[in-house]
Amino acid sequence: MTSETPVLWIVTLAAVALTAWRSRRYIAALAQAPGASRFDQPWRRLEGVAIAIGLHRKMLRKPLSGILHALIFVSFFVLFTVTIEAFGSRLFPGFSLAPIGGDSWIALLQDLFAVLMLAGLGLAVYQRYVLKPARFRGSSGSDAAIIYVLILLIVSSLLVEAGARIVGGADGSWRPVASLIADLLRALSVPARPTERIAYWIHIGAILAFLIYIPGSKHRHMFLAAPNIYFRNLEPVGTAPAVPPERETPGVASLAQFDWKQQLDLLSCTECGRCQAVCPAYASGLPLSPKMLITDMRDALANDASTPLVGGVIAEETLWACTTCRACIEACPVEIEHLPKIIDMRRHLVDEGRVSPMLQDALTNLTRLGNSMGKPSKMRARWTKELGFPVKDARSEPVDVLWFVGDYASYDPRVQDVTRKVAELFTAAGVDFGILFDAERNSGNDVRRAGEEGLFETLAQSNIDAIRACTFNRIVTTDPHSLNALKNDYRHFGGAFEVLHYTALLAELVAAGRLDIAPADGATVTYHDPCYLGRYNGGFDAPRDLIRAAGYTLHDMARCRENSFCCGAGGGRIWQSDDGVKERPSENRIREALGLGVGTFVVACPKDKVMYTAATDALGVASSLRILDVAELINLREAPSA
Amino acid sequence: MKILVVLRMIPDSAGELELTSDGRGIDREWLDFQLNDFDDHALEEAILLKEAAGATVVAVAIGEGSNRVLQMAVARGADEAIALEAEGDGMIDSRAIAGSIVALARSKAADLVLCGVQSTEDLFGQLVPYAGALLSWPHVSGSSRLGADGSALRVTQERGGGIAATYEIALPAVIGVQTASKAPRYVSGSKLREASKTAIGKAPSEPAGFERSAEIVALRLPGQRGTGENLGDNPENVAERLANILAAKGFAGV
Repeated sequence: MTSETPVLWIVTLAAVALTAWRSRRYIAALAQAPGASRFDQPWRRLEGVAIAIGLHRKMLRKPLSGILHALIFVSFFVLFTVTIEAFGSRLFPGFSLAPIGGDSWIALLQDLFAVLMLAGLGLAVYQRYVLKPARFRGSSGSDAAIIYVLILLIVSSLLVEAGARIVGGADGSWRPVASLIADLLRALSVPARPTERIAYWIHIGAILAFLIYIPGSKHRHMFLAAPNIYFRNLEPVGTAPAVPPERETPGVASLAQFDWKQQLDLLSCTECGRCQAVCPAYASGLPLSPKMLITDMRDALANDASTPLVGGVIAEETLWACTTCRACIEACPVEIEHLPKIIDMRRHLVDEGRVSPMLQDALTNLTRLGNSMGKPSKMRARWTKELGFPVKDARSEPVDVLWFVGDYASYDPRVQDVTRKVAELFTAAGVDFGILFDAERNSGNDVRRAGEEGLFETLAQSNIDAIRACTFNRIVTTDPHSLNALKNDYRHFGGAFEVLHYTALLAELVAAGRLDIAPADGATVTYHDPCYLGRYNGGFDAPRDLIRAAGYTLHDMARCRENSFCCGAGGGRIWQSDDGVKERPSENRIREALGLGVGTFVVACPKDKVMYTAATDALGVASSLRILDVAELINLREAPSA
Repeated sequence: MKILVVLRMIPDSAGELELTSDGRGIDREWLDFQLNDFDDHALEEAILLKEAAGATVVAVAIGEGSNRVLQMAVARGADEAIALEAEGDGMIDSRAIAGSIVALARSKAADLVLCGVQSTEDLFGQLVPYAGALLSWPHVSGSSRLGADGSALRVTQERGGGIAATYEIALPAVIGVQTASKAPRYVSGSKLREASKTAIGKAPSEPAGFERSAEIVALRLPGQRGTGENLGDNPENVAERLANILAAKGFAGV
């Protein structure tokens, strides 16, 4: 046994050195990366790690994957005691876990968890090679296979080693599984001592091979998942990343410009593909998989290639395909932030003027007129003309509620009726409200997410100035996109306001008994959670409360609340062409709703009204599925008086 | 090479045009103004020439909103920005502004004057010949591509039937640009914000020295003359009426 000590020292140190050498590029990249402030609130950070890893919260959203991962994960910790013993006993002769139960209860746990590890491994193999979920498409198959073989070697060798030891006379009473193997070895008349030694060295070899293999494999996540979750974003999710003052241009043109957390994200990816499975751009056939976005950048980080990042490693069409719906980040078990990367790379494209003609038109209109449609500002409040009552000008008299109406609700003829209905409901409930008329500009939410930071700043500043000049208590927005910008993005430009969505205000009015609703007959409807109301700002319940208060029965789609499926309009996609789209996300969503057999599809976002009306028209189902805004569901007993 | 590029601000046709009370002008008080599209192409061509052959670009703008457009020109690559003071706030009359453009071309020692081939207020493209005549420089209108070639300029001009003629023209010259060699580039908000710090020069209005000639006596808005039917502005009614009309005329089986 003592002769093995120097040999084990040499192979172990060599393996550690090789592992470090294989990690050198990543370590250098992280060491040289710009800073990121992710060190605040340690307890909240730790709590998140405990929930994500300890409880496997996001992992268990896919039950089979979650359970098999939990089996492998817990077994790994138990079997790590075997590794400690295997290395400890030879590196430091005399070391043993026996005094704390290494031959009794620890031995029993090792035996049982070796079986559970194999069970987890079996499920993983079954999932990957039999079930073959589509989310694995584009993930490295050989990487997974190599790991399966190494785990199988490690676990089987440790069981054979323990079995051989029992054959050689060791006590097997705490090792039921190894005892069974011992029986097998006896039946095969295998010599005990040589078998034990061979199994031991296979075990050692497999563990060191695993160690060396890890830096180039998705199994880095064993070491990086916890730190990546710990250093996750704790800012409101609706705040787009600010441009660091030290950056000369707004965007990012090379991987080295990403801060260390953005780079750590790349190294932490497990290639599980949950992001890909929920991505509306990927589902529509556009060349964007959030998973491959991350792995392509990760591989470029490793290869130190001279290919340019934007337009090279990541194609321009890939960047423009994103709707910024945030489903990928929501789904990621290790808290990878795909969106800040996409936005930063888009900023680079915009700064260089590399935009599609349609997007250029929209942005030029926004620059010139403050709306994407190219309509004069003076026509912004024209929808009020057909109301039976005047709307207060918040610029000239104080109001309780300042209503930020937004572009689509103001200008789009398909939405103006809804806007007028909201105004009537506010009036009926006695809300003292006013609007900004032609002083309102596009909120800039999607401008910012399309990468046009400078234009966003101009729009934001113009709106903040206009809002500040008014006297009011709260702001209400029609558009969830405006809600997000005013609530989350304007904070960084000195605009801290209390902002709520009109569905929240209406729910408040209903709860206070200020709307005399004539309830419907309980017909079943479904509801689409807008990304920027739900996933971004947690507004899940108010629209549902309103649907019920209006006298309807809600039947949610399978993809609802946090898991809602984007209509395809966000992040500036509404200003891009549909080239390359095989199935529009909005049509995919309408098909989902049609499967429920409901007659009404309720929305709470002006863009949804536009997108889904177009989708039902395109699918020829407009007569069987009505697209109604939640405000349109509410019927009052008496029409509001002027 | 020094290029003077002329940028004219014209009423945004998406707005509602109304006549002044004397019926001889457009009421400009409630209008939005935008850069004349052809002038946008002239600016792009000037910047492309600068990038290809090296040049100094002086942008001169006329009309309401000039400063904003001049900042945009600087953000796109213009070296100097000048707002030309206009007399009154009426339409931009090529005959009237030609003198100011010529004075600037001389004072800035320009080798090349570029402007849009026409504008909504100069449909016949008179600014280029006026300026050329006053400067006694050669001029070509309707260019679709410019290329610097030593002290000469190669000008491609589109003719009917898809034929393109290329001229070689000695500098100094005046060119009326129809389209730039490439579509006008997008200039980002951050570059615009940076350019907003640029100082904008001013130039006084100079008389062209032309004798008084024609004057507008009446202006008329586009109206119905029995040949067309106004379908109104409610999209749903418009769609329905259009469908009915098409069906009645036998274009669609509704």
